[in-house]
Order: sequence, then structure tokens, then C-alpha cells
Amino acid sequence: MTDEREPGAEKLESGEPTRIDPRLLEILVCPLTKTTLEYDSARQELISRSARLAYPIRDGIPIMLPEEARQID
Amino acid sequence: MSETVGPPKIFDRALLRRRLSRALTKGAPDFLMKRAGDDLLDRLLTVKREFPRSLDLGSPSAHFSEAVVASGRAPPLRASGFGGAAIIDEEVPPFAPGSFDLIVSGMALQWVNDLPGVLAQARRMLAPDGLLLACLVGGASLVELRAALAQAEEEITGGASPRVSPFVDVRDMGALLQRAGFALPVADVDSFTLRYDSMFALMGDLRAMGAANVLAKRARRPLRRDVVARAAQIYAERFSDAGGRVRATFEIVWASGWAPHESQQKPAKRGSATMRLEDAMKSARESDA
Repeated sequence: MTDEREPGAEKLESGEPTRIDPRLLEILVCPLTKTTLEYDSARQELISRSARLAYPIRDGIPIMLPEEARQID
Repeated sequence: MSETVGPPKIFDRALLRRRLSRALTKGAPDFLMKRAGDDLLDRLLTVKREFPRSLDLGSPSAHFSEAVVASGRAPPLRASGFGGAAIIDEEVPPFAPGSFDLIVSGMALQWVNDLPGVLAQARRMLAPDGLLLACLVGGASLVELRAALAQAEEEITGGASPRVSPFVDVRDMGALLQRAGFALPVADVDSFTLRYDSMFALMGDLRAMGAANVLAKRARRPLRRDVVARAAQIYAERFSDAGGRVRATFEIVWASGWAPHESQQKPAKRGSATMRLEDAMKSARESDA
């Protein structure tokens, strides 16, 4: 693990890390298709190409609910 | 009609998530989770194995995660519909195959629509020789409440609609585990009776736990007040103790199984015996004597 953070990838007002835990990132897959996800750190989304869904990450917590995900093309 | 083919939708999962989140922020009664958590700790203490990577799947309180830690293992990743390190639907858990050595789940899986499917997904999320230890509300729970509500509704409105969720029977659980591909499946049940001042006190507890009716085909109109009042009478008549308190049966069904691995004991292949059964029995008898 590393302490380096990408600039602008997160809000740090409260000093609390809002970044997703990298160990969690490693094991998460799309709940519907079980395929790997792409991490978009700027938009804070996890993208499932096969389900065409982008799952939001809020305050470092991935919301892996299909009905909360954004449809993508 | 345009719905995808799959198991029937018995439970309204989104409604359940809202109910549970609300219940948990208000501080829900946690007697079931406390009891189950103590039981989980006992069960984990009998297993001589490390579980470096564990998952607490859907448990509505921290009792299960705490039991894993109390048993000397690393804290689990918590994931549920309303809190934890990831927000998930237990019906479709978003974890890669072989991600965990242990999955625990307390009082969550009674509300999934496709229990066999969830068990199969859990098995795949486990590494070989990984353990699933889950408990859920069992089929004999709240028999008294079911009976009282049905009788009252029938008497007053001439029909009854489902007011209490259907729950799994312990006798089916072993087969479900086996069908999901678990080795050494074990199912057992913890039944107990609690006493309440009245049916209203029991219903208050259930509602506060977020366990009110979440059936997808629930009657949209709430229970009529006269029906509830009559049900409380019936409950008191049929299910009370000498002291006037009413009984409520609860049943916690436990399920455990291992992701298959070569090292596990399994029956020998048919026809692979090197000794006749008769000779084996004879030598056993002789050594007894």
C-alpha cells in the first residue's frame, strides 16, 4: 500500500480519506456479470463494461447496487 | 412480462433496505443478533483454522464481525445493503471468485429471493477449503403471530393475505447447501420462545427491527385496526402463559459448509474397497472382544 494520492481525485476537507480501499478494489466485480471493473478515480465510479453500468463510490464506499448505477453506452 | 426469467420475486429488496437502514439508525432491538453472535463465536472456536480473509455478508449489526475478531481472526470486510465497507445486495454479491477464506452471515439471507443462487455465489467467492457459516430466520418462527393474524383476518374480512414472511425449513437447508456445491454441509436449528406482554409488544419489536412485512405481494393496505385488535385477542387466548404473557417462537437456522478441497474427507469411490465388508466386520468384532 502507498500513501501517495492522485491530486484532485478526492476531497480532503475533513481530512478523512475518501479513497476506496485498494484491497477492496482488488476483489470487487460487477454484481450482475461478475466481470472485472474499471476504476475511474476522477469520477469516483466503478465501471462494468459488460453490464454497461457505472457504480458510484461515495466517501470511499462503493455502492454496488444495480439500481443505483449509472447507465453507460 | 418483460421481466427477466428467474426465481419469483418474493421479497421487495429495496423496501427491505430502506426499512433496515431506518431501523438501524434508530437503534433496533438486537436480541436475535446477540444470541446468534454468541453462537457464531462458539462455532468458530471449534474450528482449528486461520481465516485471513473473511466477509461479513449482510449482517444487520456488528455482532458477527465482533465474533470473528473474538475468535482470534482478523476483522472481516463488512458488506450489506445499508452499511459497511461496500453497499451491496446480498442477492448479487460483487466479489471475485476465491476472494475469501470465511464468509459469515447473520439474519440476512431469510430475505433473499433466490437462496440457492446466493449460496452458490457464496461458494464461488470462497477459496478452496473456505468456510461458510450463516444463520437465518427459520420457518417455525412466529407461528403464533401467523395463526392469530390469519384467523382474525379470515373472521373479519372473509379472507387472509400473507402478513408474515415465509422462512426456510431446516430440513431443506442441508440439501440447499449440497446443491450449491458445498462439501460437508451441516444444518441445525436453535429454537427458543420469548415472552411478551401482548401481541402489540411483539409487533412493536418486529417493526423496530425493520422486520415488518416486506413481501412483494403484500397487501398494500395496512392491517385494519379491528383485525389487529381481534388478532391480539386470539393471540392472548391461544398462546399465553398462566401469568398472562404471550409466547412467541423464534427459530434460527444455521448453515455451514466448506468450499470443496482435496484434503477434505469424502466417501470412497464405489467399488474401490480392498477388503470385504464381512471381513472388516469380523476383525472389528475380534478387536472388540
